[in-house]
Amino acid sequence: MGHSEGHAIGAHRVAEFAGFTFNLDTLYMTWLAMAIVIFLAILATRRLSIVPSGWQNFLEMVVTALLDQIESTMGPKGRKLAPLIITLFLFILVCNELGLIPGFASPTNDINTTLGLALMVIVLVHTLSIKNKGLVNYIKHYFQPFIPFVIINIVEEIAKPVTLSFRLFGNILAGEILLIILGKLVPYVVPTAWLAFSVFVGIVQAFIFTMLSMSYLSSSLQDDHH
Amino acid sequence: MVDLNATLVAQIINFLILVAILSKFAYKPLMNMLAERQAKIQSNLDSAEQERLAAEQLKQEYLTQMAEARVQAQTIMEKATKLAEQTKEEILQQAREESARLLKNTRDEIAREREQAMQEFKGEIVTLAVAAATKIIAKNLDEQANAKLVDNFIQDLDEKKIGGLPC
Repeated sequence: MGHSEGHAIGAHRVAEFAGFTFNLDTLYMTWLAMAIVIFLAILATRRLSIVPSGWQNFLEMVVTALLDQIESTMGPKGRKLAPLIITLFLFILVCNELGLIPGFASPTNDINTTLGLALMVIVLVHTLSIKNKGLVNYIKHYFQPFIPFVIINIVEEIAKPVTLSFRLFGNILAGEILLIILGKLVPYVVPTAWLAFSVFVGIVQAFIFTMLSMSYLSSSLQDDHH
Repeated sequence: MVDLNATLVAQIINFLILVAILSKFAYKPLMNMLAERQAKIQSNLDSAEQERLAAEQLKQEYLTQMAEARVQAQTIMEKATKLAEQTKEEILQQAREESARLLKNTRDEIAREREQAMQEFKGEIVTLAVAAATKIIAKNLDEQANAKLVDNFIQDLDEKKIGGLPC
Protein backbone atom coordinates (compact mmCIF):
# COMPACT_ATOMS: atom_id res chain seq x y z
CA MET A 1 0.00 0.00 0.00
CA GLY A 2 2.52 2.49 -1.11
CA HIS A 3 0.62 5.70 -1.35
CA SER A 4 1.17 8.88 0.63
CA GLU A 5 4.60 7.59 1.35
CA GLY A 6 7.02 10.14 2.74
CA HIS A 7 4.52 12.49 4.29
CA ALA A 8 1.81 12.43 6.89
CA ILE A 9 -1.54 10.86 6.08
CA GLY A 10 -4.05 13.41 4.88
CA ALA A 11 -1.46 16.10 4.28
CA HIS A 12 -1.03 17.48 0.79
CA ARG A 13 1.81 18.65 -1.33
CA VAL A 14 1.12 22.31 -1.93
CA ALA A 15 2.11 24.74 -4.61
CA GLU A 16 1.91 28.51 -4.59
CA PHE A 17 0.58 30.14 -7.72
CA ALA A 18 -0.22 33.83 -8.09
CA GLY A 19 -0.58 34.17 -4.35
CA PHE A 20 -2.97 31.23 -4.04
CA THR A 21 -2.21 27.87 -2.49
CA PHE A 22 -3.15 24.73 -4.42
CA ASN A 23 -3.06 21.11 -3.29
CA LEU A 24 -1.14 19.63 -6.18
CA ASP A 25 -1.86 15.93 -5.61
CA THR A 26 -5.58 16.64 -5.31
CA LEU A 27 -5.56 18.57 -8.56
CA TYR A 28 -3.60 15.86 -10.37
CA MET A 29 -5.94 13.21 -9.13
CA THR A 30 -8.95 15.32 -10.06
CA TRP A 31 -7.68 15.70 -13.57
CA LEU A 32 -7.04 11.99 -13.75
CA ALA A 33 -10.55 11.29 -12.48
CA MET A 34 -11.99 13.73 -15.02
CA ALA A 35 -9.98 12.08 -17.76
CA ILE A 36 -11.29 8.67 -16.72
CA VAL A 37 -14.89 9.90 -16.60
CA ILE A 38 -14.56 11.56 -19.99
CA PHE A 39 -12.83 8.51 -21.39
CA LEU A 40 -15.56 6.20 -20.13
CA ALA A 41 -18.28 8.50 -21.38
CA ILE A 42 -16.72 8.85 -24.80
CA LEU A 43 -16.06 5.13 -24.94
CA ALA A 44 -19.64 4.39 -24.06
CA THR A 45 -21.17 6.93 -26.41
CA ARG A 46 -18.68 6.73 -29.25
CA ARG A 47 -20.76 4.40 -31.33
CA LEU A 48 -24.26 4.81 -30.02
CA SER A 49 -26.69 2.35 -31.43
CA ILE A 50 -30.34 1.62 -30.93
CA VAL A 51 -29.44 -1.80 -29.65
CA PRO A 52 -26.96 -1.16 -26.84
CA SER A 53 -23.92 -3.28 -26.17
CA GLY A 54 -20.77 -3.26 -24.06
CA TRP A 55 -19.94 -0.02 -22.27
CA GLN A 56 -23.02 1.65 -23.67
CA ASN A 57 -25.11 -0.80 -21.67
CA PHE A 58 -23.34 0.10 -18.45
CA LEU A 59 -23.44 3.86 -18.93
CA GLU A 60 -27.03 3.73 -20.08
CA MET A 61 -27.96 1.72 -17.03
CA VAL A 62 -26.38 4.30 -14.72
CA VAL A 63 -27.84 7.22 -16.62
CA THR A 64 -31.36 5.85 -16.90
CA ALA A 65 -31.38 4.83 -13.22
CA LEU A 66 -30.33 8.35 -12.26
CA LEU A 67 -32.82 9.86 -14.70
CA ASP A 68 -35.64 7.85 -13.13
CA GLN A 69 -34.52 9.03 -9.70
CA ILE A 70 -34.32 12.63 -10.92
CA GLU A 71 -37.75 12.36 -12.48
CA SER A 72 -39.32 10.97 -9.33
CA THR A 73 -37.73 13.36 -6.85
CA MET A 74 -37.48 16.58 -8.83
CA GLY A 75 -40.27 16.26 -11.34
CA PRO A 76 -40.08 17.29 -14.99
CA LYS A 77 -38.16 20.47 -14.16
CA GLY A 78 -35.32 18.33 -12.88
CA ARG A 79 -34.46 17.14 -16.36
CA LYS A 80 -32.49 20.29 -17.01
CA LEU A 81 -30.27 19.44 -14.08
CA ALA A 82 -29.84 15.84 -15.13
CA PRO A 83 -26.43 16.28 -16.81
CA LEU A 84 -25.12 17.97 -13.67
CA ILE A 85 -26.39 15.28 -11.36
CA ILE A 86 -25.25 12.42 -13.54
CA THR A 87 -21.82 13.99 -13.86
CA LEU A 88 -21.75 14.53 -10.10
CA PHE A 89 -22.40 10.87 -9.49
CA LEU A 90 -19.93 9.58 -12.06
CA PHE A 91 -17.23 12.01 -10.97
CA ILE A 92 -17.54 11.27 -7.26
CA LEU A 93 -17.74 7.54 -7.98
CA VAL A 94 -14.54 7.59 -10.02
CA CYS A 95 -12.86 9.84 -7.45
CA ASN A 96 -13.77 7.50 -4.61
CA GLU A 97 -12.59 4.38 -6.38
CA LEU A 98 -9.41 6.04 -7.63
CA GLY A 99 -7.97 6.18 -4.12
CA LEU A 100 -8.26 2.41 -3.81
CA ILE A 101 -5.63 1.89 -6.48
CA PRO A 102 -2.20 1.72 -4.83
CA GLY A 103 -0.19 4.84 -5.58
CA PHE A 104 -3.26 6.98 -6.16
CA ALA A 105 -5.32 9.11 -3.82
CA SER A 106 -8.96 10.06 -4.00
CA PRO A 107 -9.58 13.71 -4.85
CA THR A 108 -12.48 13.36 -2.43
CA ASN A 109 -10.12 12.81 0.49
CA ASP A 110 -9.50 16.55 0.31
CA ILE A 111 -12.07 18.75 2.05
CA ASN A 112 -11.50 21.33 -0.70
CA THR A 113 -13.00 19.00 -3.27
CA THR A 114 -16.01 17.90 -1.27
CA LEU A 115 -16.77 21.32 0.15
CA GLY A 116 -16.34 22.80 -3.32
CA LEU A 117 -18.88 20.41 -4.77
CA ALA A 118 -21.24 20.87 -1.82
CA LEU A 119 -21.03 24.68 -2.04
CA MET A 120 -21.65 24.53 -5.74
CA VAL A 121 -24.78 22.45 -5.13
CA ILE A 122 -25.98 24.74 -2.35
CA VAL A 123 -25.39 27.89 -4.40
CA LEU A 124 -27.36 26.26 -7.18
CA VAL A 125 -30.14 25.35 -4.74
CA HIS A 126 -30.51 28.93 -3.52
CA THR A 127 -30.22 30.41 -7.00
CA LEU A 128 -32.91 28.11 -8.32
CA SER A 129 -35.02 28.75 -5.25
CA ILE A 130 -34.94 32.51 -5.79
CA LYS A 131 -35.53 32.12 -9.50
CA ASN A 132 -38.41 29.74 -8.97
CA LYS A 133 -40.25 31.33 -6.06
CA GLY A 134 -39.22 34.95 -6.35
CA LEU A 135 -37.01 36.80 -3.92
CA VAL A 136 -39.84 37.81 -1.56
CA ASN A 137 -41.15 34.31 -1.19
CA TYR A 138 -37.63 32.99 -0.82
CA ILE A 139 -36.90 35.31 2.09
CA LYS A 140 -40.34 34.78 3.60
CA HIS A 141 -39.72 31.06 3.57
CA TYR A 142 -37.03 31.50 6.22
CA PHE A 143 -39.54 32.98 8.66
CA GLN A 144 -42.01 30.13 8.44
CA PRO A 145 -43.92 28.78 10.24
CA PHE A 146 -43.06 31.37 12.95
CA ILE A 147 -40.58 34.23 12.93
CA PRO A 148 -38.22 32.70 15.56
CA PHE A 149 -37.73 29.74 13.25
CA VAL A 150 -35.38 31.87 11.20
CA ILE A 151 -32.50 30.69 13.42
CA ILE A 152 -33.29 27.05 12.88
CA ASN A 153 -33.78 27.58 9.15
CA ILE A 154 -30.46 29.38 8.76
CA VAL A 155 -28.63 26.73 10.76
CA GLU A 156 -30.25 24.12 8.56
CA GLU A 157 -29.12 25.88 5.41
CA ILE A 158 -25.56 26.16 6.73
CA ALA A 159 -25.59 22.56 7.90
CA LYS A 160 -26.49 21.34 4.44
CA PRO A 161 -23.14 21.95 2.69
CA VAL A 162 -21.17 21.17 5.82
CA THR A 163 -22.76 17.75 6.37
CA LEU A 164 -22.76 17.01 2.66
CA SER A 165 -19.04 17.71 2.29
CA PHE A 166 -17.80 16.29 5.57
CA ARG A 167 -19.69 13.05 5.17
CA LEU A 168 -17.98 12.29 1.88
CA PHE A 169 -14.62 13.64 2.94
CA GLY A 170 -14.64 11.74 6.25
CA ASN A 171 -15.70 8.46 4.73
CA ILE A 172 -13.13 8.49 1.97
CA LEU A 173 -10.25 9.80 4.05
CA ALA A 174 -10.99 7.39 6.89
CA GLY A 175 -11.19 4.55 4.41
CA GLU A 176 -7.80 5.38 2.97
CA ILE A 177 -6.20 5.88 6.37
CA LEU A 178 -7.59 2.58 7.60
CA LEU A 179 -6.31 0.90 4.48
CA ILE A 180 -2.77 2.12 5.19
CA ILE A 181 -2.93 1.30 8.88
CA LEU A 182 -4.34 -2.17 8.29
CA GLY A 183 -1.67 -2.75 5.67
CA LYS A 184 0.95 -2.00 8.27
CA LEU A 185 -0.66 -3.94 11.12
CA VAL A 186 -1.95 -7.08 9.35
CA PRO A 187 -0.44 -7.22 5.87
CA TYR A 188 -2.56 -10.12 4.62
CA VAL A 189 -6.27 -10.78 4.03
CA VAL A 190 -7.66 -8.01 6.24
CA PRO A 191 -6.61 -5.07 4.01
CA THR A 192 -8.01 -6.94 1.02
CA ALA A 193 -11.33 -7.35 2.77
CA TRP A 194 -11.33 -3.68 3.70
CA LEU A 195 -10.39 -2.78 0.13
CA ALA A 196 -13.38 -4.72 -1.12
CA PHE A 197 -15.59 -3.01 1.40
CA SER A 198 -14.15 0.37 0.39
CA VAL A 199 -15.29 -0.22 -3.16
CA PHE A 200 -18.79 -0.59 -1.79
CA VAL A 201 -18.38 2.47 0.48
CA GLY A 202 -17.19 4.49 -2.51
CA ILE A 203 -20.34 3.61 -4.47
CA VAL A 204 -22.62 4.26 -1.52
CA GLN A 205 -21.04 7.61 -0.68
CA ALA A 206 -21.23 8.78 -4.28
CA PHE A 207 -24.86 7.73 -4.30
CA ILE A 208 -25.62 9.48 -1.00
CA PHE A 209 -23.98 12.71 -2.11
CA THR A 210 -25.94 12.65 -5.35
CA MET A 211 -29.21 11.74 -3.65
CA LEU A 212 -28.94 14.50 -1.07
CA SER A 213 -27.99 17.03 -3.74
CA MET A 214 -31.06 15.95 -5.65
CA SER A 215 -33.36 16.29 -2.67
CA TYR A 216 -31.98 19.77 -1.89
CA LEU A 217 -32.40 20.78 -5.51
CA SER A 218 -35.88 19.32 -5.69
CA SER A 219 -37.08 21.40 -2.75
CA SER A 220 -35.93 24.51 -4.55
CA LEU A 221 -37.78 23.48 -7.70
CA GLN A 222 -41.13 22.98 -6.03
CA ASP A 223 -43.66 25.65 -6.90
CA ASP A 224 -46.08 25.52 -4.01
CA HIS A 225 -44.15 25.56 -0.82
CA HIS A 226 -45.97 24.92 2.41
CA MET B 1 -5.76 17.82 7.46
CA VAL B 2 -8.62 20.24 7.04
CA ASP B 3 -6.97 23.17 5.37
CA LEU B 4 -9.07 25.18 2.99
CA ASN B 5 -7.32 26.98 0.19
CA ALA B 6 -7.68 27.93 -3.45
CA THR B 7 -8.01 24.25 -4.41
CA LEU B 8 -11.69 24.61 -3.49
CA VAL B 9 -12.33 27.09 -6.27
CA ALA B 10 -10.20 25.09 -8.67
CA GLN B 11 -12.23 22.00 -7.93
CA ILE B 12 -15.51 23.80 -8.60
CA ILE B 13 -14.16 25.01 -11.92
CA ASN B 14 -12.82 21.56 -12.73
CA PHE B 15 -16.17 20.03 -12.01
CA LEU B 16 -18.07 22.58 -14.09
CA ILE B 17 -15.70 21.94 -16.99
CA LEU B 18 -16.39 18.23 -16.61
CA VAL B 19 -20.14 18.88 -16.62
CA ALA B 20 -19.84 20.95 -19.76
CA ILE B 21 -17.72 18.36 -21.56
CA LEU B 22 -19.90 15.45 -20.55
CA SER B 23 -23.17 17.11 -21.36
CA LYS B 24 -21.89 18.10 -24.78
CA PHE B 25 -20.15 14.90 -25.81
CA ALA B 26 -21.92 12.18 -23.89
CA TYR B 27 -25.22 13.29 -22.40
CA LYS B 28 -26.79 14.90 -25.47
CA PRO B 29 -26.01 12.05 -27.89
CA LEU B 30 -27.12 9.57 -25.28
CA MET B 31 -30.38 11.38 -24.70
CA ASN B 32 -30.98 11.67 -28.44
CA MET B 33 -30.31 8.00 -28.81
CA LEU B 34 -32.63 7.15 -25.92
CA ALA B 35 -35.36 9.30 -27.41
CA GLU B 36 -34.82 7.66 -30.76
CA ARG B 37 -35.02 4.24 -29.21
CA GLN B 38 -38.14 5.20 -27.31
CA ALA B 39 -39.74 6.43 -30.52
CA LYS B 40 -38.74 3.26 -32.29
CA ILE B 41 -40.09 1.01 -29.57
CA GLN B 42 -43.26 3.07 -29.44
CA SER B 43 -43.76 2.81 -33.18
CA ASN B 44 -43.07 -0.91 -33.05
CA LEU B 45 -45.58 -1.33 -30.27
CA ASP B 46 -48.12 0.78 -32.12
CA SER B 47 -47.75 -1.22 -35.30
CA ALA B 48 -47.93 -4.46 -33.32
CA GLU B 49 -51.11 -3.22 -31.68
CA GLN B 50 -52.54 -2.28 -35.04
CA GLU B 51 -51.72 -5.66 -36.46
CA ARG B 52 -53.24 -7.32 -33.46
CA LEU B 53 -56.43 -5.32 -33.93
CA ALA B 54 -56.52 -6.21 -37.63
CA ALA B 55 -56.04 -9.87 -36.78
CA GLU B 56 -58.78 -9.60 -34.20
CA GLN B 57 -61.13 -8.09 -36.75
CA LEU B 58 -60.25 -10.76 -39.28
CA LYS B 59 -60.91 -13.45 -36.72
CA GLN B 60 -64.24 -11.86 -35.87
CA GLU B 61 -65.16 -11.83 -39.54
CA TYR B 62 -64.22 -15.45 -39.91
CA LEU B 63 -66.25 -16.35 -36.87
CA THR B 64 -69.27 -14.51 -38.24
CA GLN B 65 -68.89 -16.24 -41.57
CA MET B 66 -68.54 -19.57 -39.85
CA ALA B 67 -71.69 -18.95 -37.86
CA GLU B 68 -73.56 -17.94 -41.00
CA ALA B 69 -72.34 -21.01 -42.81
CA ARG B 70 -73.43 -23.16 -39.91
CA VAL B 71 -76.88 -21.60 -39.91
CA GLN B 72 -77.15 -22.11 -43.66
CA ALA B 73 -76.07 -25.69 -43.36
CA GLN B 74 -78.63 -26.17 -40.65
CA THR B 75 -81.34 -24.72 -42.88
CA ILE B 76 -80.31 -26.85 -45.82
CA MET B 77 -80.26 -29.92 -43.61
CA GLU B 78 -83.72 -29.16 -42.30
CA LYS B 79 -85.08 -28.59 -45.77
CA ALA B 80 -83.55 -31.79 -47.02
CA THR B 81 -84.93 -33.70 -44.07
CA LYS B 82 -88.38 -32.28 -44.64
CA LEU B 83 -88.21 -33.07 -48.33
CA ALA B 84 -87.06 -36.59 -47.61
CA GLU B 85 -89.87 -37.01 -45.14
CA GLN B 86 -92.37 -35.78 -47.70
CA THR B 87 -90.98 -38.01 -50.40
CA LYS B 88 -91.04 -40.93 -48.04
CA GLU B 89 -94.65 -40.25 -47.22
CA GLU B 90 -95.52 -39.99 -50.91
CA ILE B 91 -93.69 -43.16 -51.77
CA LEU B 92 -95.32 -44.97 -48.89
CA GLN B 93 -98.70 -43.69 -49.95
CA GLN B 94 -98.12 -44.83 -53.50
CA ALA B 95 -96.90 -48.18 -52.33
CA ARG B 96 -99.91 -48.58 -50.13
CA GLU B 97 -102.26 -47.67 -52.92
CA GLU B 98 -100.45 -49.94 -55.30
CA SER B 99 -100.57 -52.83 -52.91
CA ALA B 100 -104.24 -52.20 -52.25
CA ARG B 101 -104.94 -52.13 -55.96
CA LEU B 102 -102.94 -55.28 -56.53
CA LEU B 103 -104.74 -56.97 -53.71
CA LYS B 104 -108.10 -56.02 -55.16
CA ASN B 105 -107.12 -57.18 -58.64
CA THR B 106 -105.90 -60.44 -57.27
CA ARG B 107 -109.07 -60.93 -55.31
CA ASP B 108 -111.17 -60.22 -58.40
CA GLU B 109 -109.05 -62.58 -60.42
CA ILE B 110 -109.45 -65.27 -57.82
CA ALA B 111 -113.18 -64.73 -57.68
CA ARG B 112 -113.46 -64.85 -61.43
CA GLU B 113 -111.35 -67.95 -61.66
CA ARG B 114 -113.48 -69.59 -59.02
CA GLU B 115 -116.61 -68.62 -60.84
CA GLN B 116 -115.21 -70.02 -64.06
CA ALA B 117 -114.04 -73.14 -62.30
CA MET B 118 -117.46 -73.56 -60.75
CA GLN B 119 -119.07 -73.19 -64.18
CA GLU B 120 -116.76 -75.74 -65.68
CA PHE B 121 -117.33 -77.94 -62.72
CA LYS B 122 -121.05 -77.75 -63.14
CA GLY B 123 -120.80 -78.66 -66.84
CA GLU B 124 -118.57 -81.54 -66.02
CA ILE B 125 -120.91 -82.76 -63.33
CA VAL B 126 -123.88 -82.55 -65.69
CA THR B 127 -121.96 -84.46 -68.34
CA LEU B 128 -120.87 -87.02 -65.81
CA ALA B 129 -124.35 -87.28 -64.40
CA VAL B 130 -125.83 -87.66 -67.88
CA ALA B 131 -123.20 -90.31 -68.70
CA ALA B 132 -123.87 -92.09 -65.47
CA ALA B 133 -127.59 -91.75 -65.97
CA THR B 134 -127.28 -93.05 -69.55
CA LYS B 135 -125.42 -96.07 -68.33
CA ILE B 136 -127.92 -96.76 -65.60
CA ILE B 137 -130.86 -96.06 -67.85
CA ALA B 138 -129.41 -98.10 -70.70
CA LYS B 139 -129.41 -101.14 -68.51
CA ASN B 140 -133.01 -100.70 -67.22
CA LEU B 141 -134.85 -99.57 -70.32
CA ASP B 142 -135.93 -102.05 -72.94
CA GLU B 143 -136.83 -101.48 -76.53
CA GLN B 144 -140.47 -100.88 -75.78
CA ALA B 145 -139.99 -98.38 -73.04
CA ASN B 146 -137.38 -96.62 -75.04
CA ALA B 147 -139.57 -96.27 -78.04
CA LYS B 148 -142.42 -95.14 -75.94
CA LEU B 149 -140.21 -92.51 -74.36
CA VAL B 150 -139.19 -91.29 -77.77
CA ASP B 151 -142.80 -91.23 -78.92
CA ASN B 152 -143.83 -89.27 -75.92
CA PHE B 153 -141.09 -86.81 -76.51
CA ILE B 154 -142.18 -86.35 -80.11
CA GLN B 155 -145.77 -86.11 -78.98
CA ASP B 156 -144.86 -83.43 -76.57
CA LEU B 157 -143.09 -81.58 -79.27
CA ASP B 158 -146.19 -81.76 -81.44
CA GLU B 159 -148.43 -80.72 -78.70
CA LYS B 160 -146.41 -77.70 -77.90
CA LYS B 161 -146.06 -76.95 -81.64
CA ILE B 162 -142.56 -75.81 -81.22
CA GLY B 163 -140.96 -74.96 -84.45
CA GLY B 164 -143.69 -76.79 -86.36
CA LEU B 165 -141.10 -78.94 -88.07
CA PRO B 166 -142.43 -81.82 -90.27
CA CYS B 167 -140.69 -84.77 -88.68
